[in-house]
Amino acid sequence: MNHVTSETFDQNARAALGDVQLRGALRNATSLFGRRRLVAARSLDNWEDLRSQARAIKDDVLLHLDSYLEQFVANAESRGAQFHWARDAAEANAIICELASERGARTIVKSKSMTTEETHLNNALEAADIQVVETDLGEYIIQLAEETPSHIIAPAIHKTKHQIAELFTQELGMPPTDDIAKLTSTARTTLRDRFAAADIGISGVNFGIAETGTILIVENEGNIRLTTSLPRVHIAVMGIEKVIPRFADLDIFLKLLPRSGTGQKLTTYQSFITGTKTNRESEGPEELHVVMLDNGRSRMLSHPVTRQSLACIRCGACLNACPVYQQIGGHAYGSVYPGPIGAVITPQLMGLEKTQQLPYASSLCGACREVCPVKIDIPRLLLHLRSEITENSSPAVAQVKKRTSERAAFKVWRITMTRPWLYKLSARLGRLFQAALIRDGKIGEVKGIARLATPLAAWTSNRDLRPIERKSFREVWRASLRNS
Amino acid sequence: MLRFAIADMQTPTNNSSAREAILESIRSHLSLSKNLDAREHEIQHKTERGSGLVSTVITDATPVVDLFRASLEEVDGHCLIVHDETELVNALTEIMRNLRQTKLSSLRVAVSDSTEVRRLTELIDLDLDEVAVTPSAADVFSFDIGISGAQAGIAETGTLLLDSSRERHRLVSLVPPVHIAILDASQIVTTLGDALSLMRKDEQVSPIITLVTGPSRTADIELTLAIGVHGPQELFVIIRA
Repeated sequence: MNHVTSETFDQNARAALGDVQLRGALRNATSLFGRRRLVAARSLDNWEDLRSQARAIKDDVLLHLDSYLEQFVANAESRGAQFHWARDAAEANAIICELASERGARTIVKSKSMTTEETHLNNALEAADIQVVETDLGEYIIQLAEETPSHIIAPAIHKTKHQIAELFTQELGMPPTDDIAKLTSTARTTLRDRFAAADIGISGVNFGIAETGTILIVENEGNIRLTTSLPRVHIAVMGIEKVIPRFADLDIFLKLLPRSGTGQKLTTYQSFITGTKTNRESEGPEELHVVMLDNGRSRMLSHPVTRQSLACIRCGACLNACPVYQQIGGHAYGSVYPGPIGAVITPQLMGLEKTQQLPYASSLCGACREVCPVKIDIPRLLLHLRSEITENSSPAVAQVKKRTSERAAFKVWRITMTRPWLYKLSARLGRLFQAALIRDGKIGEVKGIARLATPLAAWTSNRDLRPIERKSFREVWRASLRNS
Repeated sequence: MLRFAIADMQTPTNNSSAREAILESIRSHLSLSKNLDAREHEIQHKTERGSGLVSTVITDATPVVDLFRASLEEVDGHCLIVHDETELVNALTEIMRNLRQTKLSSLRVAVSDSTEVRRLTELIDLDLDEVAVTPSAADVFSFDIGISGAQAGIAETGTLLLDSSRERHRLVSLVPPVHIAILDASQIVTTLGDALSLMRKDEQVSPIITLVTGPSRTADIELTLAIGVHGPQELFVIIRA
């Protein structure tokens, strides 16, 4: 498993930029999802209202999260669900491993869940000698390949059908083929045996409805229905922020989520699960366990800016819209949550010490904010985290603080920009002295004074620095006024 | 007092303490942000409590049945509209005959426990290899076709609402490669919001309700659409108008 950390974001990003196949796949995926989202959003004439309402509901939930959680849990418990609380990933994994071993479980089928990716549940189960099988096609592929997901919605978009065919031939003994329908049906057949044999099914949760104690899980493939219908025990892992107040609120969220994620009006299946079956004779699991995971979420409530992160409904729209993600893909972020939302969630979950580069992995263009179905102001969050990095005095984070030259440069910049006479003077001086630095019409490195140019060299290694024009805009303007 | 302490120690304290710790952490972190919240006008959009459902206004006067069919066909489902029982049985027979000629080598049929569905299945004018009522999780994998009713339909999305407390169709609608659902036109509502209100109408929400919109699909390999990955590969809805 390549659990790269985001400490190496810069290296990961550079490697990704050199991967021609990856970039082609990303270009296709992000532009296709982006176009579909736009068409789907325009098919409703109240899209903006829906976004505002969804955000208002999430804000209300987060401000009263304790009472909504208690309501949700009480209602679900009264219907037979059993709750387990996990402060962090290790506790969540321990709870699930214990539930599994108490029931003598050997095989577990699992449907796609970002939350269990976050806790690395599969590693924990395998360490406890329990076989766990991912059943979402994309997740199954990357589990066979021993990789991690690269996109929230399409986990295996970084792989070509040829690579998947090779993988299936090697791992499943499938005769070589490039036919996607054949690959899909091979996975169907192989996984059916797993479903039939599984003792426990593990799923995520998209929404927990407080007033009824219902959990809702959405999908297209049908593996979630199988995971939650066939085994005797169903374990659902739910982040504490996933609760919403009323059943009726789903009319808003079920319009926003599929349209933002895949451009669908509705995904193929929605499973509404309220407690356990009432009649022993009827179909479905006998036990429902819900694991409520904090893992750093409650911390985000302490500031209105960071609290927004908890409104996310994991649609993936910001990934597709992000010019940085479009180029480097999900793995470079070194966390299960990639893209703009990952750049703000990961540092808050894992701590800024290990993830300093992530809040800078953005041009702050604001495309993510435009597409977010719950109006999360991601650029503002990024700036908030950047300022935490520079203000933070903890020794691990402080190394960034030592960019004294950068600080000095900004100080000089501020002084200059707030004094017109000084600005005019420095522009003139700049024009006089830049001649020595200009190469091919750009300001570049100059032998001999390389040392002097170091702060500039770091900047110009990735960008072109344009020389100052011979005449300033104000001079040109004044001259044109005189001439007319 | 002492009794209390002992009782506490005997209960699996670990989890109840985790629960309290998380709720406490939520409360304390929220209280940290109280002052900032007052200044911040971020929560400008007021929550309209109890405002209820936002129903989409369907402007054209397309009857719900036609709208349902159009929506379902958009997501690769098949929709047949019949007007009486003879037409319905003919439709069922026709679907199965075609399936046997094209993709199925046998006709093993699993039906839900609905008496109406069972009665109609008996009228099918074909030699079926097997007919079983709600086979168990262990047996259901060997069937080719599942037939069930549905508790409602949503016209704007072409969706079936399956309420498992009213009919045992959880597995027959999911596991066999073909699912045929029989629906009355009177059961079709216009919007998702209407269906959500229906689901909330009873005092208690049913233990399991599934919304089904078209056959199972995936685009996980090179974003190429593949129909029928884990759920049914073909979905037929027969509407009795």
